[in-house]
Amino acid sequence: MISSQRALETQPACCCICGTRDAEPVGVGEDFEYRTSPDSFLAVRCTRCGVVYLDPRPSMNELETIYPDDYHAFAFDEARFGIVYKARSRLEARRLLKALSGLPSDARILDVGCGDGFHLDLLRQSGPNGWRLEGVELDHRAATIARQRGISVHQGRIEDADLGQSRFDAVMLIQTIEHLADPMRALKAIQRLLVPGGLLLIVTDNTGSLDFAIAKRRHWGGYHWPRHWYLFNASSLKELATRSGFETVDISTMTSPVNWTYSVRNALDDWGAPRRLVDFFSLESPVALAAFTVFDAFNTLARRGALLRAVFARAQSTEEPLES
Amino acid sequence: MSARPAADEAPIAIIGSGVSGLAAARELMHLGFDATVYESSNQIGGMADTQRDPDGFIFDTGAHFITNRFATAIGIAPLCRTVHRYGETVWSDGRAYDYPFGLMRNPRYLRGAINARIRSKRSVETAADQFRSEYGSEIADEVALPLLEQWSGLPADRLSPAVADKLPGGILATLALKLSARATNRAVAIGYCREAPQSANVWHVYPENGIATICAALTTELGDAVQTGNPVERVLTTDGRAVGVVVNGREIPAAAVISTLPVPHLAALTDEESLQPFRELRYRAMVFVNIMLRGCDVMPDTLTWTPGVEFPCFRISETTRSMPWLAPTGSTIITADFGATVGDSTWTEDDQVLEEMVLKALCAIVPSARRDFLGSRVLRSAFAYPIFDLAYEETRLALGRGTGIERLLSVGRNGEFAHILMEDSYWRTLRQVRALAAQLNESVQN
Repeated sequence: MISSQRALETQPACCCICGTRDAEPVGVGEDFEYRTSPDSFLAVRCTRCGVVYLDPRPSMNELETIYPDDYHAFAFDEARFGIVYKARSRLEARRLLKALSGLPSDARILDVGCGDGFHLDLLRQSGPNGWRLEGVELDHRAATIARQRGISVHQGRIEDADLGQSRFDAVMLIQTIEHLADPMRALKAIQRLLVPGGLLLIVTDNTGSLDFAIAKRRHWGGYHWPRHWYLFNASSLKELATRSGFETVDISTMTSPVNWTYSVRNALDDWGAPRRLVDFFSLESPVALAAFTVFDAFNTLARRGALLRAVFARAQSTEEPLES
Repeated sequence: MSARPAADEAPIAIIGSGVSGLAAARELMHLGFDATVYESSNQIGGMADTQRDPDGFIFDTGAHFITNRFATAIGIAPLCRTVHRYGETVWSDGRAYDYPFGLMRNPRYLRGAINARIRSKRSVETAADQFRSEYGSEIADEVALPLLEQWSGLPADRLSPAVADKLPGGILATLALKLSARATNRAVAIGYCREAPQSANVWHVYPENGIATICAALTTELGDAVQTGNPVERVLTTDGRAVGVVVNGREIPAAAVISTLPVPHLAALTDEESLQPFRELRYRAMVFVNIMLRGCDVMPDTLTWTPGVEFPCFRISETTRSMPWLAPTGSTIITADFGATVGDSTWTEDDQVLEEMVLKALCAIVPSARRDFLGSRVLRSAFAYPIFDLAYEETRLALGRGTGIERLLSVGRNGEFAHILMEDSYWRTLRQVRALAAQLNESVQN
């Protein structure tokens, strides 16, 4: 049916690694989660680099439309998400501390795309007291929530942010890189902000996962249509980081029930299943999340977990910061 | 988008403002190149033309198949509606058989098809051999070959076996897609695209305002890069390389030339020896007789193949069974397709005579056709299908390897001389244009 909603303004995209448009179509989908527009979207895969990206994608002045006020990364709170919030907090705190375990007790740490400050808050509560924690967030609504939590947030893009003279010991991009318009530019900016040997932690949706293989034609939760613009597997993420001046410390996959849950939800929604059944698969549904956590744990054992978790270090050999 | 190396090169000249020409221009723009589209007529669209009747009927020239994936790629998905069902039947012995599997209800056809499967394969040299070895002599001789001969205007033993492309994915994949279409209430596209994968998530959609929507959307981005009423009179070449075009008697340098013209026309625009063999390639023309009727869903399915000698046309479609919005509520459009050669008796036949021929034949399928008749409109297409005549098979295959002229592409359905539908034509054009762009970038860098 032709919708009365306004169609988004869009723009063409290219591979964020090689800069070409040599790509083949992979999947086509809609904003199943928030229905912010009547458009459908196309995901293509670079035939050179394997990066999956949205082409065309919403133009930059549509961000307010595609990230509505009730967007979950702006409002992931205990009151609404209850036991899921508690479980996720505990799990993510443990994961973060493990990844950042070698840092000095007075480390300066930056979370790029910090959203409502969830991860920084976790580090503040469970990390060493001396850690200096800061965030960068483009969306003013999310930045405001993070500040209300008492977190120091620079509003804007990482490339433009004024972060002072001293460099960071670690930078985190937790489920952020897939949202960026130019991941290589962001990584090069981060590279300049890090001390030599400083760590970059990236967590992102994995196109090498089983759920991508099954649902990539339309319903894969990791597409998060149309908000995820670049999606990686281990080798394309490594290539991106290498070309941005990083050395690989570790790349592995990680268990997450979120994409599985949304893949099923999107399919049910798309096929017109009863609302109650669709709503059973959501971030507010502990049963579905628990079941898919167990299932994805097996995938992680087979190195095909739903998320990629990569730790890179600023290349020691790069004396001078890379040009943007 | 990565910046292109600075180039003081002339724009790329594109000949023809159909879907392929406009898609090529848009892709070049996205890649940072200047391009100019030259269109000989006063309107854009080429073969993707829509005409409207004051009573609200929308007529597109010929059948077009658009998927949700293609509509999304070119940015018209919000202007399209989902096609909920699409099906084909064969009218034989006074009844309709679902195509292709329904034909197996006829025991003779089933026996013949099974025999063909288990018999050791003989060498296949013509389209007739191909159909007989694939489907058995019974289906081939009574259904497929009569249709093919009307459609192409040549006996099937003079046609290349390449006209009979197999279903991509085979029988099991096709059955699975048919089931998924039923489960999702969407006309899942089966066999309409070979350049990108089939899946339950790729289905037919159609623009609310007809096929012309596509070119209109592609053009909005291009602005004054599209010049209508400007026929290209010559394609200029030097040392085996395209270097410009002549438009209105004026020589215009070009970094490259992309033609969407029927390839014999392109060959006629140059002096290049290597292109001259392409002048012998021929296309089948089609006459589309659109009959407007009261009622809806009057035909057995969206498309009905009519191999019987009692039918002057080779297929009859009821477009509005799949796209009901193309006719006012309570009415429908039936389109009968006649194969023709430009200038022959069918091509030049009076519209009213054609209308009467169709009504007479249609009564066998729709007895109330005369009573419910509202009017007719006849449309003609001179370049409807390439004819895969074995007489020039080598030339056809040579074109598949390119024009042989550096920086001269011949793209799109007519330019490639290929049996490809719109989406395939689009992906193939993009691929060729991107390769050309890479070549031009390389030459700037060196």
